[in-house]
Amino acid sequence: MPTTTQGYEGNTPAAAITPPIASSKQQLPPAKSVDTQAVLKRWLQSELMSLMMGGDPGISAFPEEDNIFCWKGTIHGSKDTVFEGTDYKLSLSFPTDYPFKPPKVKFDTACFHPNVDVYGNICLDILQDKWSSAYDVRTILLSIQSLLGEPNISSPLNTQAAALWINQAEYRKMVVKLYKPASA
Amino acid sequence: MGVETTLSSAFNLGVLDSMTNDSIEEILESWNGLSTATEALLKGKGDLSVGSDFISCVQVLCKHRLRELAQDHFFQVLEVFRLFKAASTFWRHFVVYTEFELSKMDEFDVQEGIQQVLCKALEDLSLEKEYQEKCLLMLVHALQSHQEGTLDEQHGSNAVRSRVFSKYHLMISSVLMTSLPRHFPVILRFYFKQRLEELSVMMARDNKDLDESPNKDNMDLDERTKVSYRDGGMDIDEMYLDKKLSENNKLVKNIGKVVRDLRSFGFTSMTEDAYASAIFYLLKMKVHNLAGDDYRNSVLEPIKEWIQAVPLQFLYALLAYLGDSVSYDSPSSGLKSPLASHPSSCYPGVDTPSEGLVRWQLRLEYYAYETLQDLRIAKLFEIIVDYPDSCPAIEDLKQCLEYTGQHSKLVDSFISALRYRLLTAGASTNDILHQYVSTIKALRIIDPTGVFLEAVGEPIRDYLRGRKDTIKCIVTVLTDGQGGNANGPGNTGDSLLEELNRDEGNQELSGYDEEFNSDDKQSWTNAECWEPDPAEADPSKGSRNRRKIDILGMIVGIIGSKDQLVNEYRVMLAEKLLNKSDYDIDAEIRTLELLKIHFGESSMQKCEIMLNDLIDSKRTNSNIKATMTRPPHAVPEHEEAGVSADVVNATIISSNFWPPIQDEPLNVPEVVDQLLADYAERFHVIKTPRKLLWKKNLGAVKLELQFEGRAVQFTVAPVHATIIMKFQDQTSWTSQNLAAAIGVPVDTLNRRINFWITKGIISESLGSEPDNHIFTLVDGMVDSGSNATSTAVCEDLIAADEEGERSVASVEEQLRKEMTVYEKFIMGMLTNFGSMSLDRIHNTLKMFCVADPPYDKSLQQLQSFLSGLTSEEKLELRDGMYILKK
Repeated sequence: MPTTTQGYEGNTPAAAITPPIASSKQQLPPAKSVDTQAVLKRWLQSELMSLMMGGDPGISAFPEEDNIFCWKGTIHGSKDTVFEGTDYKLSLSFPTDYPFKPPKVKFDTACFHPNVDVYGNICLDILQDKWSSAYDVRTILLSIQSLLGEPNISSPLNTQAAALWINQAEYRKMVVKLYKPASA
Repeated sequence: MGVETTLSSAFNLGVLDSMTNDSIEEILESWNGLSTATEALLKGKGDLSVGSDFISCVQVLCKHRLRELAQDHFFQVLEVFRLFKAASTFWRHFVVYTEFELSKMDEFDVQEGIQQVLCKALEDLSLEKEYQEKCLLMLVHALQSHQEGTLDEQHGSNAVRSRVFSKYHLMISSVLMTSLPRHFPVILRFYFKQRLEELSVMMARDNKDLDESPNKDNMDLDERTKVSYRDGGMDIDEMYLDKKLSENNKLVKNIGKVVRDLRSFGFTSMTEDAYASAIFYLLKMKVHNLAGDDYRNSVLEPIKEWIQAVPLQFLYALLAYLGDSVSYDSPSSGLKSPLASHPSSCYPGVDTPSEGLVRWQLRLEYYAYETLQDLRIAKLFEIIVDYPDSCPAIEDLKQCLEYTGQHSKLVDSFISALRYRLLTAGASTNDILHQYVSTIKALRIIDPTGVFLEAVGEPIRDYLRGRKDTIKCIVTVLTDGQGGNANGPGNTGDSLLEELNRDEGNQELSGYDEEFNSDDKQSWTNAECWEPDPAEADPSKGSRNRRKIDILGMIVGIIGSKDQLVNEYRVMLAEKLLNKSDYDIDAEIRTLELLKIHFGESSMQKCEIMLNDLIDSKRTNSNIKATMTRPPHAVPEHEEAGVSADVVNATIISSNFWPPIQDEPLNVPEVVDQLLADYAERFHVIKTPRKLLWKKNLGAVKLELQFEGRAVQFTVAPVHATIIMKFQDQTSWTSQNLAAAIGVPVDTLNRRINFWITKGIISESLGSEPDNHIFTLVDGMVDSGSNATSTAVCEDLIAADEEGERSVASVEEQLRKEMTVYEKFIMGMLTNFGSMSLDRIHNTLKMFCVADPPYDKSLQQLQSFLSGLTSEEKLELRDGMYILKK
């Protein structure tokens, strides 16, 4: 992690200052950014490795075919919640300054949930202002999984879902009705 | 044309006008005379005495320009009264053989019959023909005598003669042909076949005589020269032929006569067909007889000799015999046959064989090549099984193929034979591998460019890839040459070590291998020296470079990468080294050096360290022992127990470089334990800061069991020794107690103790609890008979016992361990992507699985791993896509 920090901080000022300096120096920033990208790649790879080896049930994610900055995730609805027995696909895209900025996470599968809008955007504090570089893919997925069972009714994105939440039986019916599993 | 016709008819009418009554009467009279005379001549038995009447009548008619009429009348009568009858008489001879087929005529009487019948029929017909020709001559004479009066030109009279005779020949052959029974060609063919067989037998006898003649007392000068023909003297050839011919003259003459007769009746092409097919049939038989199932001798030369000796001799003689007769008798037809051309070519003149004979020879040789080639190709599988011994057969085949160029036939046939006979579940991998190596070697002879080898090798390689034990077998084949070398060079035929040895000198090649990934490098070199040259490539060109890498390259090609091979070798080497009781590793060093040449120093580095460990062990071992025996206080103590440091020999390994070693807990007897601890301590003193960690379950123990009055020696595994030593203090143990004392699980104990039970030293009985057996030491006297042999067989038994309990984790086990990481990755990606193809899984693993060790498996390995997961019901394979099984 320290290497990442140095690499990142050392890069930006250099890029900002360079304009008046000779062209030879101008070659540097891209080289350095490749460097940080390589570091980030390794970071994400090790996250992937720990995610794979961790074997948490019900959550999973994997990079898309050739791009380690875009992951597909899968969350299994926890037992004893209205989402039991459903699988939700997510997409995660990592910014170049990850893990200092949170990844963008959204649902690919339509999810009838108070904190998820019709486009799949998620309202979750740790994905916005409460982000910490200590979080990783695993904690994000676990948070979203628990968010499914414990929505934040006070600031809903989907008011209909928030209103219905009190009636769990009806809500379950809605979930089942709206659930469209990803084609296998 | 039309004008001419009218003119001639006008002329004829003019003749009619100018005719007097006298002349008409004369014509009528002579016409009647002619009719009677012709009938007398040709009807019934025939009467030549009316010849003069006939001639005068014809002359009279000719005078009145009715020549055509007379001639036509004659032929008409001839046809009606003679030819039809003659033809039917001729064919009646063969009626008996109507149901005749070549295959069915093996009975002797039939054979004899045919020959006689044919000769008789031809004789009769010839007599008849002779008579008819006599009549014909009269006609010709009459016509000629008339013409002499009018035209008196020599060649004109000859023209008449030839015209008449050719018309006659046409008639006789067309009459015969139209009534030809279907089985006649078969009869002819059979006749020639029989004659040729007879001739062949005669020739063979001559040859034998010739071989034996040096032993004969009455060997004359003439024969001596014949003997020296065998040295190939060209001038003696003639004499040899002379002798042959004189001996076989009668036979050939007989045949020649038949042929001539047949030709004269217009059967030219049929006769030729018949004896050609008979010759080919015989040649085929000869090739089959000579070649048969014996691959150890070259048969090409004998076949060629035979062709020279029998069929060509026959044709030669036939040509010669027909020579003079053909010259005038042949209707010089458009049939250009080998026999018809240059029939007069000189009789024994070997130096100038006729064009026809040469053509025959070429035809026969080609046929022989083709037949032999087909025969060998059909048996190629067996030939290659016998490979080093069957070299002559392979050389033959090579020559045949060079002649015929039918390589593709070989490839097709051999591949199907392989599929059917070798690449089946029943064949052991070792056999397949040996066959593969033999195939490579054999096909290299036939086709040095390796084009066909490539085609043939592909199915074998594909099949071998599907077998689990392939790598193991390859390594064994590669490295187990030691046994062969010790037994003498005769046994090394199928060992690849020989192959390694052969290329020992090629240092320049190994230079490349070290620095580059040899697979890429190799394919690059291959690509560079590629030539578009299948069958007709120059064998001497471009092949040297290929050959060097051939066998090993192709073997490694089966596995895909040399790393796997090296890895397997390492495991095998570890096993071998750990089981050594002495430090003699010369053979292994040699093998390793050879492997280094081929696979590069760097890839064999770990193996080299292993060998160095052994060498170091030897030195360290003697060093430690020297220092250990010095302290005098230890001596009495150890002697009491019967154990001293002298008996310990340690193999000290650098375990980082060795394959993972199986570790089983074992409580060795205290004395031994103490000894080992002392040893380890000494080691630490000498080699500080290194420490020695014993693998107590490994190694070998030599022990002697002393019973009343006799002693038995064993070499056993430590666990066996530990077990039996426990019975020293206490003759009876329950399995649980014993297991606890030794420190192994009960079921392991039960398995291991079997060794002593089978030796009759320990007996097993049921205890109070069902799974707590009681083991008791058997008194040594019980079955001394079986014990007497025990020393001899005990090594085998250990081997059998240890099967599957190797000291080194096998490559498969290592692989399985690595693969569990990949399994999690595969599960992860399939959870998120639903279904994926093999390729995509492979690529994704390559890209994202950066575990230690990184993903480095081949597509095949991944596939077999995935199919393992499929059979564990974790995955499902649908339309080439893997999906998670829910």
